[in-house]
Amino acid sequence: MKNIFLITKREFLTQVKKKSFIILTLLAPLMIVGFGALIGFMFKANEAEYKFEVVDKSGIFAGQLKSTKDITYTFVPANTENALVKNLKELKGSDGILIIPELKDKNFDALENGTKLMTNKKIGVDTKVKISADLSNILKKEKIKMLGISEDRIVNLDKNFKIISQNITESDRPESDMAFGIKTALSFGLMYVVFMFIIIYGVRVMRSVLEEKNNRVVEIIISSVKPFELMMGKILGVTLVALTQFIVWIAMSVTAALFLNTGFAAMQKNMPAEQGEMMKNFDFQQIATEVSHVLLDMNYVGIISVFVFFFLFGYIFYSSMYAAIGSAVDNETETQQFTMFAIIPLMIGLYGSFTIMNNPDGPMAFWLSIIPFTSPVAMIARIPFGVPLWEILLSIFLLIASTLLMVYIAAKIYRVGILMYGNKATLKEIWKWIRS
Amino acid sequence: MLKAENIKKTYNAGKKIALQDFSIDVPTASIYGLLGPNGAGKTSFIRIINQITQADEGDIWIDGKKLNPEHIRNIGYMPEERGLYKNMTVGDQLLYFGELKGMSRQEALSQAKFWFEQLNIDQWWKKKLSELSKGMAQKIQFVVTVLHRPKLLILDEPFSGFDPVNANLIKDQIIRLKNEGTTIILSTHRMESVEEMCDFVALINNSKKVLDGKVFDVREQFKQNVFSVVLADTNSENLEELTRKYQIENMTTDNGLFHFELKNSENQNILLQDLLKTGTIRTFNEKIPSMNEVFINAVKD
Repeated sequence: MKNIFLITKREFLTQVKKKSFIILTLLAPLMIVGFGALIGFMFKANEAEYKFEVVDKSGIFAGQLKSTKDITYTFVPANTENALVKNLKELKGSDGILIIPELKDKNFDALENGTKLMTNKKIGVDTKVKISADLSNILKKEKIKMLGISEDRIVNLDKNFKIISQNITESDRPESDMAFGIKTALSFGLMYVVFMFIIIYGVRVMRSVLEEKNNRVVEIIISSVKPFELMMGKILGVTLVALTQFIVWIAMSVTAALFLNTGFAAMQKNMPAEQGEMMKNFDFQQIATEVSHVLLDMNYVGIISVFVFFFLFGYIFYSSMYAAIGSAVDNETETQQFTMFAIIPLMIGLYGSFTIMNNPDGPMAFWLSIIPFTSPVAMIARIPFGVPLWEILLSIFLLIASTLLMVYIAAKIYRVGILMYGNKATLKEIWKWIRS
Repeated sequence: MLKAENIKKTYNAGKKIALQDFSIDVPTASIYGLLGPNGAGKTSFIRIINQITQADEGDIWIDGKKLNPEHIRNIGYMPEERGLYKNMTVGDQLLYFGELKGMSRQEALSQAKFWFEQLNIDQWWKKKLSELSKGMAQKIQFVVTVLHRPKLLILDEPFSGFDPVNANLIKDQIIRLKNEGTTIILSTHRMESVEEMCDFVALINNSKKVLDGKVFDVREQFKQNVFSVVLADTNSENLEELTRKYQIENMTTDNGLFHFELKNSENQNILLQDLLKTGTIRTFNEKIPSMNEVFINAVKD
């Protein structure tokens, strides 16, 4: 037992002291945020500003078509049209001419289908869409005026139903709108985290096994400890590394959230009046409070415990598989023929879980969250929506049993594999090792 | 100290036989050489002692007790394939391996310091293995093996990879350990080291033991009564008589000295008298076969 502790300790310290670990843990969140900002910046930088001359022969748009930051409309008299069109190519200070035909006999069709935009450079799709939307909106208002109805009444026509839903078997209060969105986000997020962690850290266990095999250290260690102890120590060590990274990231996000919250509040204070009004509707604090209400309303103790349990056991289940794979081959390229055994079930769990959001209690959801290969991912995806207790217990029982079985099988493969060099282990051979 | 009885080990469901009916008796505080060509079965036997694999049949006793996991902390093993963690510091590795063998951190530290002084490698404590040369890494490997003061030391080709100076250094340490009571099993095909260091030897060939015993006795067993002689001031007449009486070979002359070898089946004193009649004896040596010759002769059959 003490040996497992020693090996775990070494595995943990070795990985945590590596520069790559520190950099990844601290910088990864920053990199993600930075990357997002970069993308946003790229979008913004590519925005173009256009200037159009508008010949409005219908007279409807003159006072209404407002210039924006991106598109400047300059109204010009109709008789300049021909001259402008002729000189368009060399026309500087203008990117094009928008020609709106005359309105005859209230024939709006002619306007809608006959408006021309002549440009002397390439115009992007979204600009065209914007112009078309601007014109449509104005025309719509005009049509409403012609019908003699006030605009308010038209808006009234378009109101949506806001249904208050309440699942009486689950709670005695109506569900808030946000609830579903939050549950989905939580489901998606947690499931993805488990998936990524299992794959990334499972591979680390495999690499560690290969390293010891390749630098022959394994023979000395095996003369001091049992192969099983070595394997478990390794798995636990890497588990601790994963948990450490996880905790650091949670701490960083919580700090960031608090920081953003206060930062946002400060920003609100310093904003000019109209923008401040707009921001008020987007009250971060209010949203955060609502979110935490929904979260607290959910059985968060249950969710966290289920998450921790399935994360841990799913991780041990797959890491022992990875350890066995690492011990059966001589280098990393050879592992690829075997790693698909680990990745395919996880992917099935991941993609299958997308259906869980639409039907949390359906048959797909049920089976995926019970079968041990996919349950670590699927059950975690399901839990924010609430799962019957007996199903959770059944899944837990199955996962524990199969994890023990997997560790046992992996230990048998590991024990033989780590001392074998040069033979390319085929599945048949590995089966023999398990049988022995 | 260690006794093996009728060990049998096969691989591949019996298709490959590594050891058959293998029995040896290793006395305490001796250096016991395990000799044999590659693939003879030495490494399999060593792995069985280290409980890395299990014998199919037969038993091993250490100090009267059957081989069991408790013996692990009293055995030190240096495998033929050297290997240590490349990115750990020397100090960390020594402590790690020491603790795995059951030492406390304190003990491991003090023993490590002791060995660093013995081998003159004080300044390497904080260095990573990857920063050391191969010979230096081998020294560290040796320290890892002996750190926990094992009663039984098993060294598989301990001198491979060492330059003569360091090989000598390790040899002296091994002999010193023996004098302090450690039993050492040396597996090698370097015959000179067997002659220099081993008290006992066992020869393995093709999974079977070919011979064993004290090195001295084994060499005596294979001696062929050949003597190497150098004579000065020879009387040519008597020399011719000598040639007729004894089987003489490899006669050379150089600077008036006669070098030759002769096979003697008679009483040695009579031989000496005959030689004295023939000239002045400069050298008179009985040729005891080297372990190399013993080995070659033994596996020939």
